[in-house]
Amino acid sequence: METITLLAWAFDSLLGLGLLWLAWQSLASPDLFKAIVLFFAFGLLMALAWVRLEAPDIALAEVAIGAGLTSALLLAVLAKLRATEINDDTTEPLENVEQTFRSFQWFPTVILLLVVAGLSYTVLSLPPYATGLSAEINTNIENSGVRNPATAVLLNFRAYDTLLEMLVLLIALLGVWSLNGAVLQSKTAPGLVLDTLSRLLAPMLILVAAYLLWVGAHASGGAFQAGSILGAAGVLLLLAGWRLRPALTALPLRLMLVAGPAAFIAMAVFTMMIEGQLLEYPKQYAGILILFLEIAATLSIGTTLVALFLGGRPSNNFPSNDFPSKDEEHK
Amino acid sequence: MVSVVTNIPWGIILILLPSAAAIACFLWPRIANELGLVTAFTIVLSTTGLGWQIMENGAYHHTVGGWGAPLGIELYADGLSLLMLAASALVGSGISTYSASYFEQEHLERFWPLWLLLQTALNALFLSADIFNLYVTLELMGLAAVALAALTNNSDALSGSMRYLLATLLGSLSYLLGVALLYHSFGTVDISTLAERVDSSPTVWASLGLMTAGLALKTALFPLHFWLPPAHASAPAPVSALLSSLVVKASFYILLRLWINIFAPLGEGVDTLLGLLGATAVIWGSLQALRQTRLKLLVAYSTVAQIGYLFLAFPLAVATNVTAWSATTYLVLSHALAKAAMFLAAGNLLLFSSHDRIADLDRVVQRIPLTMAAFALAGVSIIGLPPSGGFIGKWLLLEAALSQGRWDVAVILLLGSLLAAGYVFKVLGHAFTQAPLPLKPTVIPASMEWSALLLAFAAILLGLLASPILSLVDIGHITGHSEVRP
Amino acid sequence: MSSAFLYTLVGLGLFALGLYALIVHAHLLRKILAINVMGSGVFLVLVALAKRTGEVRPDPVPHAMVITGIVVAISATALALILMLKLTAKTGHARLPDDQRESR
Repeated sequence: METITLLAWAFDSLLGLGLLWLAWQSLASPDLFKAIVLFFAFGLLMALAWVRLEAPDIALAEVAIGAGLTSALLLAVLAKLRATEINDDTTEPLENVEQTFRSFQWFPTVILLLVVAGLSYTVLSLPPYATGLSAEINTNIENSGVRNPATAVLLNFRAYDTLLEMLVLLIALLGVWSLNGAVLQSKTAPGLVLDTLSRLLAPMLILVAAYLLWVGAHASGGAFQAGSILGAAGVLLLLAGWRLRPALTALPLRLMLVAGPAAFIAMAVFTMMIEGQLLEYPKQYAGILILFLEIAATLSIGTTLVALFLGGRPSNNFPSNDFPSKDEEHK
Repeated sequence: MVSVVTNIPWGIILILLPSAAAIACFLWPRIANELGLVTAFTIVLSTTGLGWQIMENGAYHHTVGGWGAPLGIELYADGLSLLMLAASALVGSGISTYSASYFEQEHLERFWPLWLLLQTALNALFLSADIFNLYVTLELMGLAAVALAALTNNSDALSGSMRYLLATLLGSLSYLLGVALLYHSFGTVDISTLAERVDSSPTVWASLGLMTAGLALKTALFPLHFWLPPAHASAPAPVSALLSSLVVKASFYILLRLWINIFAPLGEGVDTLLGLLGATAVIWGSLQALRQTRLKLLVAYSTVAQIGYLFLAFPLAVATNVTAWSATTYLVLSHALAKAAMFLAAGNLLLFSSHDRIADLDRVVQRIPLTMAAFALAGVSIIGLPPSGGFIGKWLLLEAALSQGRWDVAVILLLGSLLAAGYVFKVLGHAFTQAPLPLKPTVIPASMEWSALLLAFAAILLGLLASPILSLVDIGHITGHSEVRP
Repeated sequence: MSSAFLYTLVGLGLFALGLYALIVHAHLLRKILAINVMGSGVFLVLVALAKRTGEVRPDPVPHAMVITGIVVAISATALALILMLKLTAKTGHARLPDDQRESR
């Protein structure tokens, strides 16, 4: 039986309580800015929990996407929101908090407590030991072309899920673009610190992304983590005032955005022709084909995340005339 | 020749073609319209091909990646999936034709990629045999549907789709928690493997509750329907049509599939509740529809009512009672066709008179007779008058109810039909009379009138093709009870 | 109680907390945060229960599912946030209109 040392047990309990406390504080905070900062902290604690649960792949994705990019997006949106909301931001949240605390709602509370009690009982009735699909993974991973089990599941055993997931990202982008006009980009020039920092950090992040992509075949990492780091690098550059040339925002940008889903679909057609089964790679080439898919997916995920952060169709937002080049901003 | 047709992987084409077309439309917006239309009709063709294969060889199986369950994902299509795919292809081609003339170029460029991805999601959903893969298709469908509902960017559409987005995300999360519990109880997400391993344990009960609640929210079962009328009424007409006729049916299909294959032996009690909510939905939705003064809201509340019928079959043991099961399938199909026709006709009326106040319709019957015929024929099926598809569905449901002595269900059926007749004739009546303010009509393109009318015809025709369609329903009916069925 | 069950219970707690906030709060940004907290709760349940393998490495299939889920979550969040901005720009309020309006 697994022996849990008292220290580990205490740490896990504290982490669990911390998660619940931060989530509660974030959701009940009277100030929206504070709520987002707390949500960011919550994301970081989640990453710690993933590490404790021996899921480093998720921890990486959580830090980059769950905590990092989501919070950056939330802050950008909040800035825009404060400019457009009619009630100024000091009264609005207060009103909300009064609503939450003064008229504490008994009905949903009681129902939810019952649901949680029921679900907890249910979960505790599960057998304490279960291996799930571990055995099948272990026997088949030799033939998957990669050695990291999470990558093997994402890009081979359940690659079809990943194909559809690339389409989910594309839909989110299409949806955001069809709501055009909501540009999150501020026109202000960045400070010296941000500018220098971005010049240093961005190439490093791109290197980290490339490393994660490569290492994903046999250790923690892979297309999603690499893509989200790439996305973070892009967001950083955007914040520092970097802009894509307008000529690049039309077809080349669109090609980057669809690289992932297009590569998956091409691979699906290819495997149907070669093996007659959807996404069944020829065994000796599985590793290289997966790497090809991962590169395309990384590129797409990174670009899409930056585009989502930008929040609008770039070609509409930066007409070539008033397009500020990097040098002009510093004059 | 025949072997060529049976060897082509039609099922795979149904998933890859619309997704590839969506990407092409995104890259080259100028050809979006032509590409979208060609794709829509190729989907009809591919569905026919798949239907041929299924009728020749029985249920369709495909092991994605060659791994097989439980490690890999399996695609599966039996008679029920085939009928859903067919309804989706047919309604899809009608909506595509209509949209090609309905939207201006700017909206067309946004519409096509999203609509093609929604079609991908629908086809992938109807072909999936894996509960986690179904979650991904649900999200794909939900986000595409929300983006389409917000397409016009006016404040009603934006608030409607925002509410819709929150509801659909909540539904997905509830479903996903159910998936988590099932996976950790039985070590698989494959539906047929789950069907073998499932037992009466607390986790199965909990996942039954979570998944049923999540999917009922997405299907807009009373009282979880609050998001549907604003979203469906404020969207552009072809989007309202696809939301009401296809998207809510897709989540219902998953619910039906889960109940038939996994939860059937355990659902006692819950099925009574679902039936009760269904009955309330029929009465309440119809009454709300009668009260409406806006045409599109009337049609949207009619959807709330018609969804209620689908749940009436659950207490009649939908999995084991063949008649109840066929009735549900029939109701899903006929409502898909009729409601699409009705929303498209409503779109024509709205465009023609530049408003959708029912009282001010102003003699539209004389001016756009094809559209009014489409509305009336769709109404015939919604009410459940012979010889429409709606009639067959309600008749089968009545038969199943009476064979079990369930007179209460029979009463609800009758009452629902009377109320439906009330709201359909309310619209038709105003279409004949002169409005106080005479309107300045807009010309409606013929393709928009005909696509509504042909879909309405299809809903009627469904009633005349009862026996071949009912024999399709039984192909590969993997209830786990099919062997012991008398 | 092993750490697997501990984190599972925390996950259920987060799910319920998020659901409560989703129901109670009117501001859309809070509703979106609430959905994200609920999602984290579900992911935690999925992954925590995968650790019931004893000493050996946890079952990687739920890990892959959660990575898929995280990408879906950011997609949905981004769409929701931009939709909220657009709605606020039109109506001046970052909340949904009253339900009374639907049957007007």
